Amino acid sequence: MSNVITEANWKFHWRLTESAGIMIYLADFKGRRVLWEGSLPYVTVDHQRQEVDPQKDPSEPHGPWWIPLGTRTLVGPVRVQSFRGGVELSANFVAGPYQYTQLWRFHDDGRLCPWLTIGGPGVHDQHTYHPHFRFDFDLDGADDDAFERFEEGRWQRVEREGWFPYSGEADEHGNVWRQIDFGSRASINIRPHTWDDAEVFAIRYHDGEWAPFSPRSSQGSQPFPAGYVGDEELDGKDVSLWYVAHVHFDQSFPYTAGPWIRVEGL
Amino acid sequence: MAAKKPKKAAKPAKPKAKAKVAPKKPPDVLAADPSLFDPLTPGEIADALRTLTEDRRVASMAKVGRYRVICTEPLVVKPPHWMAGHRLARVVAYDYASARAVDACIDLDAGVVAHLQLDQSQPMLSRDEEALAVSIAMVDESVRAKLAMGDMPLATLHYWGRSSLDISYNRRSAAVTFGRSDGHASLVAVVDLIDQQVTQVVPAELW
Repeated sequence: MSNVITEANWKFHWRLTESAGIMIYLADFKGRRVLWEGSLPYVTVDHQRQEVDPQKDPSEPHGPWWIPLGTRTLVGPVRVQSFRGGVELSANFVAGPYQYTQLWRFHDDGRLCPWLTIGGPGVHDQHTYHPHFRFDFDLDGADDDAFERFEEGRWQRVEREGWFPYSGEADEHGNVWRQIDFGSRASINIRPHTWDDAEVFAIRYHDGEWAPFSPRSSQGSQPFPAGYVGDEELDGKDVSLWYVAHVHFDQSFPYTAGPWIRVEGL
Repeated sequence: MAAKKPKKAAKPAKPKAKAKVAPKKPPDVLAADPSLFDPLTPGEIADALRTLTEDRRVASMAKVGRYRVICTEPLVVKPPHWMAGHRLARVVAYDYASARAVDACIDLDAGVVAHLQLDQSQPMLSRDEEALAVSIAMVDESVRAKLAMGDMPLATLHYWGRSSLDISYNRRSAAVTFGRSDGHASLVAVVDLIDQQVTQVVPAELW
């Protein structure tokens, strides 16, 4: 099967990684570059109990854990299927009680859906899942990017790197964050799933700050992607985005996490 | 007779107009070569590991030989980085002798280690380490005593302790989940991979 797909106004490449699921790279929409690379570096899981008794359990004893989504957990082939108005890639990953289906859906109107369906019983049913999606959008080129978030009723420019949780505010289309290319004024709009409790990390791209092979950085340091957040300027630079969902134990499973992404202005 | 018109001096030759040279465009991500993202071949993986282990900065790791290669994957850097357009391999290893992670970028075109990071981070477990954790947990008496009929290892979780009081906070660890073949978990055993021993046995419902 070819790893180049040209369909529904999109042309993109894909490959299966060792731990970050299906990676999409060099994706173009209507002949214009949109994405350098996008992947799902990890899905961490941690503990939340329904009843917390500080007398009995003053601390959270068990740290986060995760399972690589890649060649070692892939079940069956990576599927490429057309659907009405688009084309999608999907793959199942299973490790004991954890079951995930990763999806990349490309619509002919410029929508892009990097999603993850979480299923399986898990170790037990009081855990929270944190899928971490990483996107390195290169809209019409790598530089000249700006990042904005919707708050106080309008789009506001974000000047420096940081962590930007969904506050409940969104534009009329439900978009909460967007990346704009100064040159072409084209934009990438990101709409979170209502129940994702999502946040976006906006980080200036640097060689060396590639998707790490573990969420854990050095002892005592922030895990990734927070470990990459500094105080660097974003305006006019090359920006990479991490979309992190927090899927709480009280959701109904299987649950499909991940944003709607729409390319506009191309 | 009219005087002859003095001959016009030949016009000096016009200096040749400078050939118009298009300004050299900086290399662009739009012209990236997709083949650089292709999976590494077995030969490229071997080449990358040879180059890494010959580097003096990791000589002690290579000499002692207590390390695990976690993964080797292609890496593509963007222009204008000098390595843009080069075939690169990213090698991640864990050095048990000095309890450190090794994250290296090997330039396969130049045959050099182009980037090397040595730190205390915990890269994911290699497949060998996952299997080792299972084998350690399977023979541990405290685990065996708590297994129910039909329980089997289900998965090895990549795990680290959140608190410095937890031994898994600063020691390379794995959490082996046991349970029934239908995926229902019954027990989790935390394994210290450095000392190769079980450090915690937790009923699944308390994990």
